[in-house]
Formats: sequence, C-alpha cells, structure tokens
Amino acid sequence: MKRRQGWLFFIIFLLTLSVYLLINYPLQLGLDLQGGSQLTLQIIKEEGKVTRDELEAVNSVIDKRVNNLGVSESNLQTLGGDQLILELPGEQNPLVASRVLGKTALLEFRTQKEGTSTDLKTLQLQRLNIKELIEQYSFAEKSQNDNNLNVIQDDLKDIEQELNYSFTSNDLYGKLIEIKKYVDKEITNLFNKTDLSGKDLINAGRRQEQTNSNWEVLLNFSNSGGEKFAEITKSIAGTNQLLAIILDGESISEASVGNQFVNTGITGGSATISGNFSAENARELEVQLKGGSLPLPIEIVETNTIGALLGSKNILKSLYAAISGLIFVGIFMIFNYRILGFVSVLSLLLYGFFNLALYSLIPVTLTLPGISGLILSIGMAVDANILIFERIREELNDGNTLTRSIDSGFMRANSSIVDGHITTLLSCFVLFLLGTNFVKGFAATLGIGVLISLFTSLNCSKTILRFFTTYQSLRQKNLYLPRNNFSN
Amino acid sequence: MKYNLELIKNKRRIIGFSTVLILFSLLGILYSTFNTSYKKPINLGMDFVGGNETRIERVCEEACSNFSPDTVLQNLREISKNKKVLNNIKLQFQNKNKLISIRTPYLSIEESNNLISNLDNIVGPLNYESKDSRLIGPKLGKKLLTNCVTSLVVSLFAISLYITIRFDKKYALFALLALFHDLLIVFGIFSWLGIILSVEVNSLFAVSLLTIAGYSVNDTVVIFDRIRENLKSKKEGYNETIQLSVNESFRRTTFTSITTLIPLLSIILFGSYSLFWFSLALSLGIAVGSYSSILLAPSLLLKD
Repeated sequence: MKRRQGWLFFIIFLLTLSVYLLINYPLQLGLDLQGGSQLTLQIIKEEGKVTRDELEAVNSVIDKRVNNLGVSESNLQTLGGDQLILELPGEQNPLVASRVLGKTALLEFRTQKEGTSTDLKTLQLQRLNIKELIEQYSFAEKSQNDNNLNVIQDDLKDIEQELNYSFTSNDLYGKLIEIKKYVDKEITNLFNKTDLSGKDLINAGRRQEQTNSNWEVLLNFSNSGGEKFAEITKSIAGTNQLLAIILDGESISEASVGNQFVNTGITGGSATISGNFSAENARELEVQLKGGSLPLPIEIVETNTIGALLGSKNILKSLYAAISGLIFVGIFMIFNYRILGFVSVLSLLLYGFFNLALYSLIPVTLTLPGISGLILSIGMAVDANILIFERIREELNDGNTLTRSIDSGFMRANSSIVDGHITTLLSCFVLFLLGTNFVKGFAATLGIGVLISLFTSLNCSKTILRFFTTYQSLRQKNLYLPRNNFSN
Repeated sequence: MKYNLELIKNKRRIIGFSTVLILFSLLGILYSTFNTSYKKPINLGMDFVGGNETRIERVCEEACSNFSPDTVLQNLREISKNKKVLNNIKLQFQNKNKLISIRTPYLSIEESNNLISNLDNIVGPLNYESKDSRLIGPKLGKKLLTNCVTSLVVSLFAISLYITIRFDKKYALFALLALFHDLLIVFGIFSWLGIILSVEVNSLFAVSLLTIAGYSVNDTVVIFDRIRENLKSKKEGYNETIQLSVNESFRRTTFTSITTLIPLLSIILFGSYSLFWFSLALSLGIAVGSYSSILLAPSLLLKD
C-alpha cells in the first residue's frame, strides 16, 4: 500500500509539472494552425548524392539570405539529406522569398574578348529589343489587343532572322523567353572568365542613383578581391574591351574602364553595378550577394500557404473533435465499466496533459496530422484499459475478491498490452523515418501517445483505482460490474 | 452477457463474404487502371502527381451569388496573361457558393498569385485570410510516391517478420492474410470512390494504410493468443476451442474498436476538411480490421 501512495504522489507531481510546462512553454503550432507559408527547397545535383557538407553549405547560404530579407520568426530546417524546409509564419508573401532563394546568385567578373565589339553591339541592341517586346507582350495580354500581339510576332521574326536562330517553342511567350536566354548566353560567351567572383565579396549594399530614380548595387571586395579587381581593370583600361558583371550566366552590366586607370586599375576595393535596378530588384540582389552564391542550384518544389483565419478555424475544429472524442469515449467507458470506466477517464485526462507537456518539452510542433494522431491515440490509450478491465471482470465473475481481481487483472493483461502496441509502434517508426514533414507529425504524436498510454493506462489507472478502493463505500462489486453481468 | 458467434456453422459464409469483398475491391482497382482518365489503380492526388490547389472563401454580404464554373473559367481565359496556366484547370464552388476550390497543373508562386487575383476580379472580393494553397512540383510528387510505397513495403515487411517470429507458420500466414485482406478492401473502396466521386488519395492515405496495418494485426494477435492459450488448456475439440476463444475475446475486440472509432468519427464530423478522407480511411480500416480479426482469421484456422 505504501508503494502505491508513492506512485500517487509521483503522478500528482507529474501533473503539476505538466501544467507548469504548458503554462510557461506554450505549444508550438504548425503553419496549418497559425497560418503562414512553407517552402520546400530541393537541392539539384546531377550526379551522385548531396553530401552532408554540401547540404550544410546550402543551408548556411539560404539562412543568411533569409535573415537579410528581414523575415520575422522564420524557421529553416533540413529534410532527408537533400531538401530544406523554410517556414514563414503569418501573412508574409512567399513570392519574394521564392525569388530570392531560388537563384544560385553566382557572380562572375569577365573581360571582353578582343575584336568582339561589333558582335557585342548587335547582341546588346537585340537584347534591348527583346526586353521591350516582353514588356509590350505583357501589356498586350492585359489589354486583350490582338493587333499588338501580331506586331510583336512580326518584330520577333525580324530578330529571329537577324540572329539566324530557330525556335523550339511554339507559343509567343515561350519564344520570347527562349530568345532572351539565347542572347544572354551569346553575350556571356563574348567575355573571358577571370578569377574574381562573388567569393571575393565581403559585403554588398544598395543606393539610389543621384541622377534618376534607379537603384544601384554596391560591392565591397575583400583585400585580395580588391587586388584582383584592380589587376583586371588595369588590364583592360583604355581599351575598347568591356568589363561584364555576370549573375547566373546573365550579364547584368557591361562597362568600359577609363584611360585614367591604365597604371593602377580601379583601386579602393569597391565597385558599383548600375543596371536600371528598381528598388525591389536592387534589394533582392543585395540579399543574394550578401549571402553568397549557392554551391549547388536549388529548386522550389513545394509551397504551402495557409491564411491566418483558416489556421485559427483549424485549431477550433480540432479542439471540438478532440473534446467530443474524449467525452464520447468517456461516456462509453463509464456506461460499460462504471467506476473502472471513471478511472479510465481520469487516466485519459492525465494522458492528455502528459502528452501536451511532452510536446512542449521536446518540442513537437503541432500540425493537423499531428492532432489527428493525438486524437486517434486517445482511442488507442483506452484499448489497454479495456483489456485490463475485461480481465478484472472475468476475475470478479469467477468469484474472486475485488482487490485480488484488480491485482491479477493488471498483471495478466500486462504482456498482451505491451505486445499489442508493438505493431503500431513499428508503423510509427517507419513513418517517422521515411515520411515527409507532414507525415512525421502524425507518426510522432501517435508514437509518443502510444508510449505514454502504456504508463497512464497501466500505472496511473492502477494507482487511481487503488486509491478509490481505500474507501469502503467504493468497494461494492456492483460499482464495478453492470448488473446483468452477475447472471452468468 | 455471453456471446455466441456460430463460427463453425458460418465458416463458408464468412469466407464467401470476404471473397466477395476482395473481388469487389479488385474490380475497382482493375476498372480504375483501365477505364479511367488517370489509368492508375487509384486516383492519385496532388501529393503524388504535382500541381496546384487553392481553396479560398469569398466575402459575401448575405448569400453568395451563383456563378457557373464554366463562365468563370471563360472569363479567366479572357483576362489571363499566361494561357498555359489555364490548361487542365478544375474549378468548383462549394459551401453554398462561398468556397472556391481550384486545381491546376504545377504553377510557380507568381503564376498562382496571378491566377487568384484574376479570380478575385471575376468573383471577388476574396478573403485572403482564408486561403489555403498548395503547390507541388512534379518531381517532388514522384519522390513522395516512391517514399510512401517504400514506407508501406518496409513496414509490412517488418510486421510480417514480427508475426512470423512470434507465431508458428500457420498462425502467421493467416494473420497476414487477414492483414492484406483489410488493406486491399480499404484500397479498393478508395479506388471506387475515385471512380465515382473523383476522390483523390494523398500521402495521408498511405499513412492511414500503415496505421491500419499496425492496428489490425494487433487485434488478430490478441485473438490468436487466446486461441493458443485455450488450445493448451481446454479439453474440447479443436474447432470448438477456436469458437469459444473468439467469443471470449469478442467483447474486448469490439470495445477497443469502438473506442478507437469514436475519436475518428469526431474528426470526420467536427475536424478540418483536410482530415476527412484520412479519418474515413482509418475508420473503414478499423471496422474491416475488427471483422477480419474476429470472424475471418479464426475461420481460416478451423478444420473442415
């Protein structure tokens, strides 16, 4: 009896601790419950597997970019060796994040090959034409003006002939994008690589140009980077060769280096890219350059967005489902098992508290599938109680005393309960190992639930039951067995 | 209350009933593979094929006005910049015209935002706070599918291994037969749901199959344990002992299933729509699982 009293205090202690934990460390809610966006980024590697180092490197670049974007309370984690998951809580638009994060941001400095001035001029002119056509296209699409579209079609034909290019796309928009890529590539090919790259940057910034409303992006080189930059600019100063700044294979600026730099090159360790940036574009480029380039390209393969209102509705609905589940299970148990049923309801409540407290301790982020796992595990937690109570009932029917029946009921049901939960735990384990983020939540809560239920339904209900039976008035057999069970 | 299920008398009927259920499922799977537009054993949802699904509510003063999806789509075609987006588009109004659900092949975030703002121009104003949007790239979809199939195979293998170690051959075989029977029937029902109501399965469906597997085996294990225990001690005949054991554990098995079904029904009734089909699959699985544990698996053990 003394040992049981110890357990009683232990359980009360655990309950107090759980309540304390829940008050002080509120539960973390997943995006489907609080609203927000989630982006899944897939690292692309043509051959072989993504190594741990590469994953780390990508992770740190993305992390820097996210921080520089000024997204509040974002959460970045790796998933399954070659994916990253970024969560943006609240009403933050995932569009900007996706634009900034998706780019490799490989910055290169290249010098023009000798004798390519005419080629470059032609290409630059066509690039400008194409850019205008793309703008006209989106305008024409909006205004539903078919004449304009025909004009664009004709202009595009001219460019096609001029460049001697043949299209693979069929639709107009696809053709525009295709020829833009082609021209960008051709321009880049007119320049020689140098050993100066985005790696030589220590910082980046942006400012508005003085003469107009455009923005420019400032680059600050490291010491060695500054020397390389001086060297490169010196080599082409005063010639008609240009210096190109190339981002992800697309030249964003081509500039000549003046005659005055012919002796020293451009010193001072900084450079400016002024290529008609809007405030937004300049900021995005700044963020990308500050974070450095990605060692491997990434692709955004999944985006989930959930409005805040929907999130709070989901919480409410889950709460209704959980509470009504609990109430109906409680009614069912009390109806069939009387006092024993009441004991199982008490252990279920304990079970709920312990579960939630553990979620805030580990911590487990609660998501909708997670909640369904928790609700489902309520039903499974009662399973163990039913096994035990059925044994107790049998013992009582055989004419054993109450204390004896309770003791042997718990003892004999023990092994089959543990046994029966193994298969469920096996499934949870596999789900947790192989599942996606979404599925992991379910596996985690169901698994934790099954484990805790072993403690609550074996130990807690036994302790509570023992406590009840210390009262003489609660020891009548008919409180444990519905009447009709005596007949046989 | 004593239960008296006449297992021995009804052996043929039980096995016959299960055979009919299995044939019904196989028929659904075959029909779905050869006679539907998607040509798959089951209607794979966005999780597995990629795409874009957005659900959003309209802001309406009183009752929401009626729009036919076809007119809305036609309007969308007229004002959309990128026509490509509008291929294979599906649009539905639900919940008394209040909720719009729209499905397209994979779009970028930008394209999806444009689509919704175009929609806003036609049937708006829309309540962006109620938006629920998912974009899944086709590559990820394939990966998720492989992932789910692997999970299923691995965990079925683990469960089979556990059963084979724990029981001798005959019991293990029948327990596994009952398990595959349960999974096949749930799968078949969802094949039919896909054919008739275009219900799609996503990764949560795979999760429900796995959970059903764990749970259903659990029930069978308990009954087989009882049979084994009784066969050792009782003096009645083999078949009678099996029938007695089933009746002894009948109450326990149905009760545990009921207490598991109650919370699932609460999710179906009160929970979020995204958990509806998941909970339904689980409920079906648990119901079929109890049937096969109580009636089918022991019947298979009976000698003629």
